[in-house]
Amino acid sequence: MTVPSTPVPAPAPASAAAPPERRRLVRSTAALVLGVCAVVVLAAVSLFVGVGDLSLASLLAGDPTTAMLFWVSQLPRTLSIVLAGMALSVAGLIMQLMARNKFVEPSTVGTVESAQLGILAVTVLLPGASMFLKMSTASVFAAAGTALFLLILRRIPLRNTLIVPLVGIMLGGVISAVTTFFAYRTDLLQTLNSWMIGDFSGVLRGRYELLWIVGALTVIGYLAADRFTVAGMGQDFTTNLGLNYNRVMALGLVIVSLISAVVVVSVGSIPFLGLIVPNLVSLLIGDNVRRAVPWVAVFGAGFVLLCDIIGRTIRYPYEIPVGVVVSAVGSVIFLYLLLRKRGSHA
Amino acid sequence: MIIKSRLLAGTALVSLLALSACSTEAADANADAESTQASTVTVEHAQGSTDVPVNPETVYTFDLGALDTMDALDIDVDGVPAANFPESLSQYGAEEITKIGSMKEPDFEAINAGAPDLIIISGRVADSYEELSKIAPTIDLSVDNADAWNSFKKNTQTLGSIFDKEDLVEEKLDALEGKVEDTKELAADAGNGLIVMTSGGEMTAYGAGSRFGIIHDVLGVTPAAEVKSEGTHGESVSFNYIADTNPDHLFVIDRDVAVGTSGEAASAVLDNGLVKSTNASRNGKIVPLDSASWYLVGYGLNNVDTMVNTVHDAL
Repeated sequence: MTVPSTPVPAPAPASAAAPPERRRLVRSTAALVLGVCAVVVLAAVSLFVGVGDLSLASLLAGDPTTAMLFWVSQLPRTLSIVLAGMALSVAGLIMQLMARNKFVEPSTVGTVESAQLGILAVTVLLPGASMFLKMSTASVFAAAGTALFLLILRRIPLRNTLIVPLVGIMLGGVISAVTTFFAYRTDLLQTLNSWMIGDFSGVLRGRYELLWIVGALTVIGYLAADRFTVAGMGQDFTTNLGLNYNRVMALGLVIVSLISAVVVVSVGSIPFLGLIVPNLVSLLIGDNVRRAVPWVAVFGAGFVLLCDIIGRTIRYPYEIPVGVVVSAVGSVIFLYLLLRKRGSHA
Repeated sequence: MIIKSRLLAGTALVSLLALSACSTEAADANADAESTQASTVTVEHAQGSTDVPVNPETVYTFDLGALDTMDALDIDVDGVPAANFPESLSQYGAEEITKIGSMKEPDFEAINAGAPDLIIISGRVADSYEELSKIAPTIDLSVDNADAWNSFKKNTQTLGSIFDKEDLVEEKLDALEGKVEDTKELAADAGNGLIVMTSGGEMTAYGAGSRFGIIHDVLGVTPAAEVKSEGTHGESVSFNYIADTNPDHLFVIDRDVAVGTSGEAASAVLDNGLVKSTNASRNGKIVPLDSASWYLVGYGLNNVDTMVNTVHDAL
């Protein structure tokens, strides 16, 4: 099965009379270069931010303590931020295509909440469960929760832009309430917090490797991006183009659920990320999904890197969990996007 | 602590009863009052002052520290929250002891039905003080972490005066102070220490003046770092911080065990190169603190003894 691809026109020099499509392309190419540079810079900063007198000089000089710090703590942390940031943003994009709505992402449709319920279930029923078992259970729950959301969505006749995320947030709230209730009954409320609020402070070599799975899923998401666009047009349209609608939806469901579950299990929830990044990218380069995926990945990585660096430096040497920083910044951007959309379509 | 034998109040009460009974004469009532001596103690506590009957019949406590103290003084406690009691207090988990809610949420119906004569609360349910006061005399025996030792002593003496056991309390407190002095001497040249709590694979650090500050403030272990954790929650830290602080002693509370989960045990969380690079790890001075004792019970007569011994033996 081959994936239909959109040929990307070669960049041409921008002139005042250039058609908008071309101008946009130039603008987007410039932004991509900038974005990649920014992420590289941020990653470098992230590698050397933190407690301990870690500097490039001492690392190159081969100081054993510095080397240990770098390989055991700094590098894994930076890698896990990049992986989680990329994957969550791409998962948000896929979710938005599947729900045909710009305002959904795993943490606003019940996916993340379901994953948390899954982890809680494992923790209560099988206290000594392995990381892998936790992840699998969380994934199954996340998929079930997301499927439930999509089913509810099919039954809503009027698809007002704002109704869709509201339904998702309500569903998430219900699932979250169930989780909180059982956590309260089993005295796990504080432990629940460590999955609720994303935090990279505990990331070390040997404790983040699951995140490579989401890296792979991000690549799969990129390869299948066009299908999600088509599936977003609806079942009839998809079938007319010779694609199996249900199969595409199932693939998207698996990718989104797995990404959410793995990130929640390893670092906790990072809300709004999958919402803001794809929307900002779409403002920048438009809605060509296939072209947008690399951007979404780059921006996502950069955004989380920046938030984590802020969280690490603002109250140095103590940390503010990245989930808190992302939520604070993200909710403001989310509101801006919502109100802006309202203004232009009202 | 002011103890007043309130003859007047007693008289008034008894004469009211007499009036409602509509039969007895006032002269008899006066004679009765002198014999029953309905005495109360005025207790100054964290949320004001409350008049508490001496030797109250039915006692409910939300504070496990106070429970531990009353246990040490052989006072019967009739109601406790549903909690994961540590070994030393496991008998209070039994069926016949009234369960008056959870550690954080009072069950007002159960408390009301039990008609207690005294309710003891602390930080976790401090907000319910007004509500509980409507049911029975309520005292808030929260320990002030900024002045933990004096606060603990005062609370213990308060309990002593309510239950008429002042002498026993003084005796026990004196013995404790002796142990504290011994530990201080040891701590003076034992190097510094850092307190961390692990929960869900992540860590928070606690310093002087925190809920676990007894180690620094009372027992004199030099803090390895100035952790400014105010209130009940520590500061979120990374493993780099531990390596960088390089404490001589690392005191570890495993939060996931305190709440009855066998999640990632603290030893597994701390099993990494960064922690192993510290003096504490090299000299075998990573000290596990019993989570039930340190996190749930805290300042009680027996428990402080246990806590002091733990630190003493670790130095």
